[in-house]
Amino acid sequence: MPRETFQQELDTLLSEVLELGGEVEGTLENMVRAMEEHDAALAEKELGVDMRYKARGAGIDEECMILQARQAPVARDLRLLYTVQAVTNHLVRSGTLTEHICHALVDTAGCERDEDLEAALIEMARTARRLFHEGMEIFRARDIDRARDLQAADDKVDLLYSEAMNLIANPSADGGAPEWRMRAALMVHYLERIADHGVDIGSRTVFLVTGERIESAMQQYINRDLREE
Amino acid sequence: MANPRRTKEEQKVTEAPRNRRDTKKGTGGASSGDAGASAFGMRIENLSAHYGSFKAVTDVSMDIRANKVTALIGPSGCGKSTYIRCLNRMHEVIPGARAEGRVRLGDQDIYARDMDPVRIRRRIGMVFQKPNPFSKSIYENVAWGARINGYKGDMDELVEHSLKQAALWEEVKDKLKKSGYDLSGGQQQRLCIARTLAVEPEVILMDEPASALDPVSTQKIEDTMDQLKQSYTVVIVTHNMQQAARISDYTGFFYIENMGDPGRLWEFDETEKMFSNPDRKETEDYVTGRFG
Repeated sequence: MPRETFQQELDTLLSEVLELGGEVEGTLENMVRAMEEHDAALAEKELGVDMRYKARGAGIDEECMILQARQAPVARDLRLLYTVQAVTNHLVRSGTLTEHICHALVDTAGCERDEDLEAALIEMARTARRLFHEGMEIFRARDIDRARDLQAADDKVDLLYSEAMNLIANPSADGGAPEWRMRAALMVHYLERIADHGVDIGSRTVFLVTGERIESAMQQYINRDLREE
Repeated sequence: MANPRRTKEEQKVTEAPRNRRDTKKGTGGASSGDAGASAFGMRIENLSAHYGSFKAVTDVSMDIRANKVTALIGPSGCGKSTYIRCLNRMHEVIPGARAEGRVRLGDQDIYARDMDPVRIRRRIGMVFQKPNPFSKSIYENVAWGARINGYKGDMDELVEHSLKQAALWEEVKDKLKKSGYDLSGGQQQRLCIARTLAVEPEVILMDEPASALDPVSTQKIEDTMDQLKQSYTVVIVTHNMQQAARISDYTGFFYIENMGDPGRLWEFDETEKMFSNPDRKETEDYVTGRFG
């Protein structure tokens, strides 16, 4: 097949992105466990990953630019490079936010907490982890059928966000230490962003496969379902 | 830039619709409704081209939009050059070669019995792969075609105007009496473009006009084309896909499905679409360089 070298370069680039995604998922997993088990030491292990992810992201960006300059990609190759750059940005941003949460967990290790708020926070963290993982799976398998469900699942995060913010704004008598509540507000916000990055990775995959933005691609998809029924 | 030989009415640029939905996609190529087809556009319907008993191109339908650049791409031997030569009746000059179907320039069928092929070729000019200036001065290269077509206006003005349109004037204005052969390859090709423009065609067909040129000359030809479409309709065959992506508004992909089959127009759409998200797998494989 012509352009074998180019194809190999694209394959290598893609595997680098998936590898980065796996590492960010690992950080996210440790963050959830640290939250569930009050394990500040586990959270502490993840401090500093941010710089590593940023360096990896910059490397992938540079490779994309070099491939565009040298190989003049079009059509699916161009969409892949465009998507790789966008997904990499989502991964790096999610890694940074996860590290911020780990920082907050370490800083507030000895603080008194509001049980309800903590439960909401953990539920939100689990949901964000699930959505992020699903986004990466959609990207890995290019399974755009699942992207539609992922869009719908995003609503659950918005609901949890409102609930958690409500608990922060209206604390009970034993509402935990103010410092913890303040950091909890930030964590809620970060978790909502992480979930959103995951959903967006799924949406980017729709563009990669169909060449259409998710809004119009999904409309066609819905119309197709209606016709089939 | 005003054209000294056209009336104001003729100089009106008719904007073709940019909406993708105006272009039907599919094996048979593209054809749109009457809306948007301007007086200077071309409409090709079910065109097939033969060399004796061999059918080289089959069933091509395509609307060529006025004042736009249409690029034709595809692997070697898929019929692009044969097809473009049918558009000004150059194909039939080869012994045994013939074309079937309809090719309309505005409202006229150029294959109608009463149509004079020589007159058609004046209205639909052609620039070839290899620059082919006459063994005359630069001035005469440009003036000659217009003179034999009975041009009675100011010849100096026409020569200057044509050379300016072909982006050559500044380089040759002080040596118009020198032979066309004294020019570089890129300049010779622009001289051939100026020669074509001087006889006032409505459509300019270009068969790989920059394939033998260096990058700087190629860039000048490409810049020229961007200017030309203000006044002319341009159709270009090119093997350089990046060139097609850079300069054209519409792109047609020609393809042969099985060895020995005639070439077909496989997909035809706006260039942006063809190079970002073509509908057919073969088009995508070709533009991404996976075959051909």
